[in-house]
Amino acid sequence: MVPLILDFVACARAAGLRVSTGEVLDCLGQAGRIDPLDESQFFSLLRANMAKSRLEQERFDRIYHLYFHELQREIEDPSVSIAAQTEEIDAQVRAMAPRDPIAGAIADFLGGDPTAYLHLLRQIDGEGDSGRRGPGANLGSLVRRLPVLTALDQARTILADYLAAHRRQIHWEARRQIDRHIRQRLDSARRLLTEPERHAVSAQGIRRKPPENPDRLGERTFSGLSPAEVDQMRQVVARLVRKLKDAVGLRHAARSRGLLDVKKTLRRAARYQGVPLELRHRRRPPRKARLMVLCDLSGSVWSAARFMLNMIYAFQDCFDRVRSFVFVAGLVEVTGLFDHHDIDRAIAKVLTETDLEYGAATDYGLTLRQFRSACMDAVNRKTTVIVIGDGRSNYGNPEEGIVAEIRDRCRRLIWLNPESEAFWYTGDSEMRTYMPLCNEVRPCQNLNQLSDFIRDLVL
Amino acid sequence: MNGFDSVEDTRRALEAVGYICTPQVATVVFLAAATDKPLLVEGPAGVGKTELAKAVAQSLGRPMIRLQCYEGLDEAKALYEWEYAKQLLYTQIVKEKVRELIGAAASLSEAVERIAVEESAFFSERFMLARPLLKAITAPDPVVLLIDEVDKSDPEFEAFLLELLSDFQVTIPELGTRRAASIPLVVLTSNSFRDMSDALKRRCLHLYIDYPPPEQELAIVRSKVPGLAEALARHMVAAMERIRGLELKKKPSISETLDWARALIALQLDTLSPEVVEATLGVICKHREDARQVAQQSAKVAASS
Repeated sequence: MVPLILDFVACARAAGLRVSTGEVLDCLGQAGRIDPLDESQFFSLLRANMAKSRLEQERFDRIYHLYFHELQREIEDPSVSIAAQTEEIDAQVRAMAPRDPIAGAIADFLGGDPTAYLHLLRQIDGEGDSGRRGPGANLGSLVRRLPVLTALDQARTILADYLAAHRRQIHWEARRQIDRHIRQRLDSARRLLTEPERHAVSAQGIRRKPPENPDRLGERTFSGLSPAEVDQMRQVVARLVRKLKDAVGLRHAARSRGLLDVKKTLRRAARYQGVPLELRHRRRPPRKARLMVLCDLSGSVWSAARFMLNMIYAFQDCFDRVRSFVFVAGLVEVTGLFDHHDIDRAIAKVLTETDLEYGAATDYGLTLRQFRSACMDAVNRKTTVIVIGDGRSNYGNPEEGIVAEIRDRCRRLIWLNPESEAFWYTGDSEMRTYMPLCNEVRPCQNLNQLSDFIRDLVL
Repeated sequence: MNGFDSVEDTRRALEAVGYICTPQVATVVFLAAATDKPLLVEGPAGVGKTELAKAVAQSLGRPMIRLQCYEGLDEAKALYEWEYAKQLLYTQIVKEKVRELIGAAASLSEAVERIAVEESAFFSERFMLARPLLKAITAPDPVVLLIDEVDKSDPEFEAFLLELLSDFQVTIPELGTRRAASIPLVVLTSNSFRDMSDALKRRCLHLYIDYPPPEQELAIVRSKVPGLAEALARHMVAAMERIRGLELKKKPSISETLDWARALIALQLDTLSPEVVEATLGVICKHREDARQVAQQSAKVAASS
């Protein structure tokens, strides 16, 4: 059983699961305690040790099914050996392009070792930043899938040719089995390539609030406001910001209980003839919330953009470590602008002075790639990342791999969508792709929703 | 009982204390108990994560120690705290004695030396308030330690847990390192408010508990609410399944099913009609918007399969 599990681990790692040696050892140590012939127990053993979050479980299940079900399928009639012939086909597939890693990987896959193939797939999905720019650059993973698809088709042709050529030498029963065996493997390889990985939804649903007073200001969408109302709205946002500051202050107060501060206590004691009556605690500094806010300023969310900028400004006012970015097609950091100007001027400057092309088509993929290369190392367990946008990426590559990477590194990933929920999954919206990767998704279309968000914001 | 014998035995033992689970859950619990690995349980609210820890404790006949996590939880609340007031009181009371002790000293350094000998009088376990983690470690008999909603705690606290989870020891600067007298079975629960760190996950076995399949939910209802008529229980579980299919803010989980079953008994009803669903909505849905949605669909929800 040990080689089997080790083999499976290699396979899981190739598919991008992080399995540590310690976990493998645990797994092997525990394997003796269960009944390995009971599949449900065996499955639970591997899963409990190797997939340690909801997000990873889906991938684990896929690999498990591939490795233990699709590839280990017994040949029906062991009396007819087809090993020699399948090996020959394997060799031919490998020979169709001797130095090409794709052909090699497919040949390995047909031979029952999916590691190289899974590794290949991961490269296809992961290599978003290939450095290529210009038209078609955002088709990335689609383009890279193509040669693999072609190679799979070629392998199928090789199979058909081989069977036709050896029509006389091989018994029809064996021929049928070879055909089925290889075909099944090619099918699973194809499925892996073309069926996108479905993530288990880990954001706990979408947070909504029942509408309270539909005609009041709070329920009006940002786009349908008169200038007077806009002003009124600004005041409410300002009030919200003060509230947020209070909340931050409260946390300071709650944090003051900690270790005893001997120095201060003794100094106090001098007042009471050396008896330390009054205790002083060491103030634990409140956790410094680090925020990164990415705000979409493209035409589709234009109506909400001003309020979002207001809010970002407020964040930067309240917390020390906020980095703010705006994007359309490409990312621009505006932290400095917000730091040095008052709110109205800052927003005006963002809208006029940054070198953002407001006319360009939104490209979330490009934005995310830029974010990764510029600031990914600043994202850590203390960072909360907030993305404000409608996820409409004009059918470009959504680069959800980068979103997953952000999620892996940050404390919380929150997505605020200023678009009406009814339109989320229509057209070029990538919300369905991004949603399962976020810790929290909220519609943020009107004042009430915005204030709810600020109220619930725990950093 | 000091452990389970096999997966099947685990399942039966849990069932005996009223916790019905899938073989997967039983396998992971068995492995955790057999190899002294901490168990990290994730899942939506109300599927019985905390309940699992209680059931394990009960079936193993071990006491359970519970630590509820929240933002701002620190070592003083989780591990130990010096009982300062008591220390102060004692020093005031024994002041005379201290004076006697150092009165005969020829020099200042000798006086300090004399006090230093008695140091343990001030820093000893007498003045220490053990909090849940220390209690679990120092308990003479093995316990079940439940660290509830660990995702609500700060990353600092999570890092602090690592020493405990991998070596079952804690370090108290004044007293030294305390090893566990007996290794506790640690159960951590999380609502996935945030992801736990890799270091923590690596030390734990992971278990995800989802909403139960209908047959299992039926079995749970039968065992927890024995007074409910079989046909009504079936009908109710099916209706619950349909409610979970709706786009709700908070899907009802097992605890809501059980509350609902008890409510139906209290109302002495024996059939489920749309009116009954609407009348008992408050038990199932905890949000106004959800309640409205279920009320609109009550005919569909209450349909007899």
